[in-house]
Amino acid sequence: MSLRARFRGAGILFPLLLAFGGAACAPEHARAPKGVLIVSQEQQSSWIRNFNPLTTATSARWPTLAGVYEPLFVFNSVKSQYVPWLAVAREWREQNRVLRLTTRRGVLWSDGRPFSARDVAFTFDLLRRFKALDRRGVWGFLDGVTAVNDSTVDFRFQRVFIPGFDEVAAQLIVPRHAWSSVVDPVAFPNEKPVATGPFTEVRVFQDQIYELGRNPHYWQPGKPRVEALRFPAYPSNDRANLALVFDEADWAGNFIPAVDRVFVKRRPQDHRYWFPLTGSSIFLYPNTTRVPFNDVRVRKALSMAIDRNLLVDVALYHYSRPADATGLSDAYSAWLDTTVIARGDWVKHDLARANSMLDSAGFRRGPDGLRRLPNGKPWNYEILTVSGWSDWVRASQVISRGLAGLGIQASVRTYDFAAWFQRVQEGNFDLSLGWSFEGPTPYNFYHWLMSSSTVKPIGEASMGNWHRYGSPEADRVLGAFEREPDPAAQRGLCNEMQRIFSAEAPAIPLYPNPSWAEYNIRRFDGFPSAANPYADPSPNKFDRGDLLLVLTSLSPR
Amino acid sequence: MRYILRRFGFYVLAAWVALTMNFFLPRLMPGDPATALFARFKGRLSPEAMQGLREAFGFTHEPLLKQYITYLGHVLKGDLGISVAYFPSPVMKVIGTGFVWTLFLAGSAVVLSFAIGTLLGVAAAWWRRGWVDTWLPSALVFVGAFPYFWLAMVALYVFGFTLGWFPLGHAYSDDITPSWSFGFAIDVLRHAVLPVGTVILVTLGGWLLSMRNSMIAVLGSDYVNLARAKGLPPARVALRYAARNALLPSVTGFGMALGFVLGGSLLTEIVFSYPGQGYLLVQAVRNQDYALMQGIFLVITLAVLGANLCVDIFYLWLDPRTRESRS
Repeated sequence: MSLRARFRGAGILFPLLLAFGGAACAPEHARAPKGVLIVSQEQQSSWIRNFNPLTTATSARWPTLAGVYEPLFVFNSVKSQYVPWLAVAREWREQNRVLRLTTRRGVLWSDGRPFSARDVAFTFDLLRRFKALDRRGVWGFLDGVTAVNDSTVDFRFQRVFIPGFDEVAAQLIVPRHAWSSVVDPVAFPNEKPVATGPFTEVRVFQDQIYELGRNPHYWQPGKPRVEALRFPAYPSNDRANLALVFDEADWAGNFIPAVDRVFVKRRPQDHRYWFPLTGSSIFLYPNTTRVPFNDVRVRKALSMAIDRNLLVDVALYHYSRPADATGLSDAYSAWLDTTVIARGDWVKHDLARANSMLDSAGFRRGPDGLRRLPNGKPWNYEILTVSGWSDWVRASQVISRGLAGLGIQASVRTYDFAAWFQRVQEGNFDLSLGWSFEGPTPYNFYHWLMSSSTVKPIGEASMGNWHRYGSPEADRVLGAFEREPDPAAQRGLCNEMQRIFSAEAPAIPLYPNPSWAEYNIRRFDGFPSAANPYADPSPNKFDRGDLLLVLTSLSPR
Repeated sequence: MRYILRRFGFYVLAAWVALTMNFFLPRLMPGDPATALFARFKGRLSPEAMQGLREAFGFTHEPLLKQYITYLGHVLKGDLGISVAYFPSPVMKVIGTGFVWTLFLAGSAVVLSFAIGTLLGVAAAWWRRGWVDTWLPSALVFVGAFPYFWLAMVALYVFGFTLGWFPLGHAYSDDITPSWSFGFAIDVLRHAVLPVGTVILVTLGGWLLSMRNSMIAVLGSDYVNLARAKGLPPARVALRYAARNALLPSVTGFGMALGFVLGGSLLTEIVFSYPGQGYLLVQAVRNQDYALMQGIFLVITLAVLGANLCVDIFYLWLDPRTRESRS
């Protein structure tokens, strides 16, 4: 989910207008030709032509990262399973030091040249030579990548690191014949992409609109059935939502307030949405290097003071559910340990118990009702959040009210994104909202929540683990997971991780974020839905290729 | 001539001050471009890749003064640098995509609003207590008091969605390729009606009132009475004698208004999805794209200074006293 795709911002007028103008009947507007799917994913006022799937220097146009180019394996985050894509098989060899992938035969690049394992080796070599292309940091654990023959490629690891497969699998592959002559692939705009994905032909590219046509040589016979994708430039969320409500756009991944009333009711037979809870989990991060948040009893008491039902209602229009004691979103449903959830009472709202926990921990209230540290300092803290991110701001207010019941004066403090991010990364906060880190397994999630290897000293910017919590027990389990290729044993280790998380409460889980997806089924069929949950429905879900599953399943009516 | 030279010297100085502020202001913002980049990936970017990126972008830790001198040198050569938010496009190219549209939008709105407002002001003052004088100023001031954003959304909703008279956004139809043709011009005009119209609507009242008030003052002066007494045709008295003198304060305001509208075009552009530079500026700030911010500010500054220089020259023609003062 990119930042632009998030909702936030000035979103008051849109519902207002719809509310008082809801009865008016909008005339039919000029529509795209049959078979042309109109998508709104990026919010821009004009388009810059860039289809470079590797560069991290800029964002390439949607769907370069899953639609124009393709990964080795697609991860279906709704079903929590891998789908073979450009690679068809994987095998760990030499005591799990070498990962051997077999690439798909019969795949052609969009210019008609054959795809082979040598393209894969070439792509990884590019990442090695240009560090700015290695967004997943694969060369942090890889030692070498060689094409054994045209359909086999070996990845030699520096150490046994099983989760490394997830990063290798998600890598997008570029053609050697087109990229070997590119001098600076970081700054390369790749205006005419040569790719393996379903949509590769740039039919129109103007300031306000661009259109991608079908790949004439796509490897899945008869697909894609959609003839072209069209992208009008909408600069704001409000504007994109209006386009959706008035049947101008067929598919979008926006936040819409009160979606049933505002969007569905407008044309119930065509307007659909599905918000599966597969986004990243939102946490209240306590700075565990500071007193009193270094005390697990305090963190748990804080957690129990928060009324999460009220929070998801107020902050998120009930699009989400209260987090459970694992903190995991529904993207990990296959990994959940139900006993941890059943026993995890520290995420249930129980103000009386929270108060008695703090009392017994020795934090007494002063005459003004505020709790005191042993040195007499009253509990007066700020909850950091980002200005304009209205869901976070509302959530912080609910939290602040809950903490007041514990005798903690927690004021909500909003910062501009950059200022907020700097404080959080450097560990310069008491309490802050924040997101979590995702991956195909809970490994990444817990790695960034409680691995000692991710703890940076205060003042030094850290990519994650902003609350700076390291658990020796978690280190042991995470380390074992890194060396465990057997799925059954991996499950056992994941259960361990959940148990440790629930016992030590390094951060306070609030709710899993929904994956936003609204669509119009008047002209197109085959969107994932709660009834047919074959993939994640959101156009924002391109990180590990979910989007490809949808793009190859849609068909015009 | 001395007058023009002196004004010109003043503008060069103003441009330098603006350039300097351009350079230092963005750097006073919290955070830095690298953090913003990091943010764009929500942290899902490996530290090694970050380092590679910093090198690719050429972020330096040179002393600010040295960076400033390099910056001035580059600007003089017309090189505004590379945009980080739209890497690897040069800033000139990024601004080029939007600035023409913004200039068109803001320029036509200001000029039209100024012309219409001034004429209405003349009419209101000439026919005191006529219907123009009685109803228009209060109505326009009332409309102008609405927040622009709200008014624009309502206009878009009513005339765009409900009635379908005008397009819902963009500068021209999606299926037309820009060209120098009559059809394209018509299409651009159709798309400009709502954004330009709403800006005119909220700014018209100000022009009308200022013109009306200064015109009323002028109408009471001796030379206007003399012109009337001489038996000159009323139209000539109204326009050549009264309006020309009453115009002076409004013309000064015109130069400033262009600046406001250029800077404020952001809202118009967001509501009407107009591909201008306002949105680019938001992107630049969000990504801490110093080069792009500086470029946009520079272009706005130059446009405003240019407009004011034109106003000064116009003054020369309008007001003989400025011509007198040159000697």
